[in-house]
Amino acid sequence: MRSMTPVFVRLKLSLLRNGLRQSAGRRAAYAASVALVLLFAALLLLGLVALRGHAHAASVTVLLTALLALGWAVMPLFFPSGDETLDPTRLVMLPLRPRPLVRALLVASLVGAGPLFTLCLLVGSSIAVARGAAAYAVSVVAVPLGLLVCVALARAVAAANIRLLSSRKGRDLAVLSGLVIAIGAQIVNFGAQRLGSAGLGRLDPVTDVLGWVPPASVIAGVDAVSEGAYAGGAARLALSALALAGLLALWSRSLTRLMTSPDGSTLPSAERGARDRSRSAGLGRLLPHGRTGTIMERSLRYVWRDPKTKAAWVTSLAIGLIVPVFNALQGTGSIYFACFAAGMLGIQMYNQFGQDTSAFWMVALTISSPRDAYVELRGRALALLVITLPYATFVTVLTTALLGDWAALPEALGLSFALLGAMLGTGAWSSARFPYSIPQEGYKNVAPGQAGLAWISIFGGMVAAALLCLPVIALVIWLHVSPGGGDWTWLLLPLGSAYGAAVGVLGLRLAAPRTSARLPEILAAVSKG
Amino acid sequence: MTEGSAGASAVRVRGLWKRFGDQVAVAGIDLELPAGRFIGLVGPNGAGKTTTLSMLTGLLRPDQGTVEVVGHDVWRDPAEVKARIGVLPEGLRLFERLSGWELLTYTGRLRGLPGTEVDQRAAQLLDVLDLAGARHKLVVDYSTGMRKKIGLAAALLHNPEILFLDEPFEGVDPVSAQTIRGVLERYTASGATVVFSSHVMELVESLCDWVAVMAAGRIRAHGPLAEVRGDAPSLQRAFLELVGAGGRDAGTDLDWLGGGPR
Repeated sequence: MRSMTPVFVRLKLSLLRNGLRQSAGRRAAYAASVALVLLFAALLLLGLVALRGHAHAASVTVLLTALLALGWAVMPLFFPSGDETLDPTRLVMLPLRPRPLVRALLVASLVGAGPLFTLCLLVGSSIAVARGAAAYAVSVVAVPLGLLVCVALARAVAAANIRLLSSRKGRDLAVLSGLVIAIGAQIVNFGAQRLGSAGLGRLDPVTDVLGWVPPASVIAGVDAVSEGAYAGGAARLALSALALAGLLALWSRSLTRLMTSPDGSTLPSAERGARDRSRSAGLGRLLPHGRTGTIMERSLRYVWRDPKTKAAWVTSLAIGLIVPVFNALQGTGSIYFACFAAGMLGIQMYNQFGQDTSAFWMVALTISSPRDAYVELRGRALALLVITLPYATFVTVLTTALLGDWAALPEALGLSFALLGAMLGTGAWSSARFPYSIPQEGYKNVAPGQAGLAWISIFGGMVAAALLCLPVIALVIWLHVSPGGGDWTWLLLPLGSAYGAAVGVLGLRLAAPRTSARLPEILAAVSKG
Repeated sequence: MTEGSAGASAVRVRGLWKRFGDQVAVAGIDLELPAGRFIGLVGPNGAGKTTTLSMLTGLLRPDQGTVEVVGHDVWRDPAEVKARIGVLPEGLRLFERLSGWELLTYTGRLRGLPGTEVDQRAAQLLDVLDLAGARHKLVVDYSTGMRKKIGLAAALLHNPEILFLDEPFEGVDPVSAQTIRGVLERYTASGATVVFSSHVMELVESLCDWVAVMAAGRIRAHGPLAEVRGDAPSLQRAFLELVGAGGRDAGTDLDWLGGGPR
């Protein structure tokens, strides 16, 4: 009871070791990732030391520390299973008091690659900004303080949200994690590019504020002391110390609450009623009656409620917007990039039945003719169009506005709609011909052994859709090269739309008999997840 | 059960085969299931019960053989068959991101029932199956017993002539099991047919009036319960004899287990 700290440090080390013992692949992956983190940390350390004396050294280091702290705060929400000692509910049967427990857990969480990386960054940042003996002396306090704030932040966030993280909603959130990181990386990348062109001086106002936010304030404190502002330095350090105390108190309180109240999974949760009902009623009224509306309603609900479907949609929506709009913003864009939105969203039509998982049996039992299959596929395509049609139009108009090329709007829209129709048509056909399972757990989107099938389905389908659009593309080119043809490009809007609709309907018509003839085979293919 | 339906067969199976790779799951079944009965398909795990039920309901294509449900071929005349059967499969998901209420209205409308009729039937089914309080909860958050009950409700919604249930009581708590039982008994009393699979003999014995015993992909015995049970004291005994596990006794092994010196 007197000293729990070594016990928890040893527990953490054993968990690490045992995790590695499970398989050689895991060992190799862990060794590689640790090596990579260490290499990156070493490079970062060198880079920060090289920054020493640079006019904007303080701005850069403060910003980096703030970003790192943000990472610590967000990480436990997306990777809840990363550290078993993070889950205090596992310790609930042991007679532990909060204060020594918090101390022990805090020390134990300093073991690992993440804290080591943080330590490197903080040491490098201090070296970059510190000038004079006083500043170095302050660094000796500032660096451990910064590290402790980061770790305590992660723990406090995790403990406060453990109910959420161990529930179904938490697991749903984890499915979206990769996506958040991917989109975050896009935004950071874009921000960095803008900074590169605008100069680091842009950062100064931001970092003036961040310099007062723990744990970034420890680096700003070292910087202040270097400049002789001892009071300001002390105040910034004190702010971080205060934050640490506050976080530890918060953590300790959630730990006590967690360990003295029943587990969230055993409590009934039937309080979501009224909200659901009102939404479904509103949605249902706008959709057509009968089978078509029923199918559309279910598809649209799944876009919002099923984490896998939602992740796929958000990816498509984000990339479909980012590529044309960012390119237009950077002045390298073309209006034809707007077709990206239609193309990315059209992908959602692929593997329709795989998105149902083995629940497809419920659909299969209600399809007894090619006509039923046609209505089923058409309902799904219409549900897609409810989102994709306005969105593709919006992206195209936005891109046009950014480029200022309003004359080209009709042809860009026509091309987009033709591509969308072709994607829906080929998507329906390949849903019937090449269905595959989407595992519901984890980040993978293909069941083992079906990766080839998925590639044929999506890649082959996209190539086919592009080929199907050739007549429209040819018409665009012809109108542009022929003398006086430029006056007639508006024709592409009605022609492209009609062509897209025709190709889409044709795809559905071809897919329907295949679907109704292969119901057991489709069910078997989508039930492997 | 009713006199009128006696003699008519609900399901007629001829020469049904299914192989998965080298493994023979169903090895030539010939079977006639009488209409209006509560029929149990019993057998140990791996006997081929789920494979058989999947082929009877059109969810799995047989390698050979024909299946007729109320006189219509499952593969040649799916429209007639699918409108007349209700299915609760084992090991397949439901549309779990819908609430119980939404799942039922979705299923009912897909089946082509009018909206008001669906709403009325769904509300009654949820009530009878003790799910009214959880009607707006997502099915993904349901317990095993609740899932079986909502699956049963979805299978009953269009008032089918025959209900196929694969292990409807597996993992279900006693209260839910009693509720399911009550609904099924009321349903068969009206002249409908229930075919359900189980490996719990006591359950089959207390519920069914007609059984088919399966082992290793074949039908070992079938007929009215009393006939299959024969002279054996219980269906369990008769079953063990039929599948050739009757002679196995744990008497000589593990003689150290229990009282006496530790």
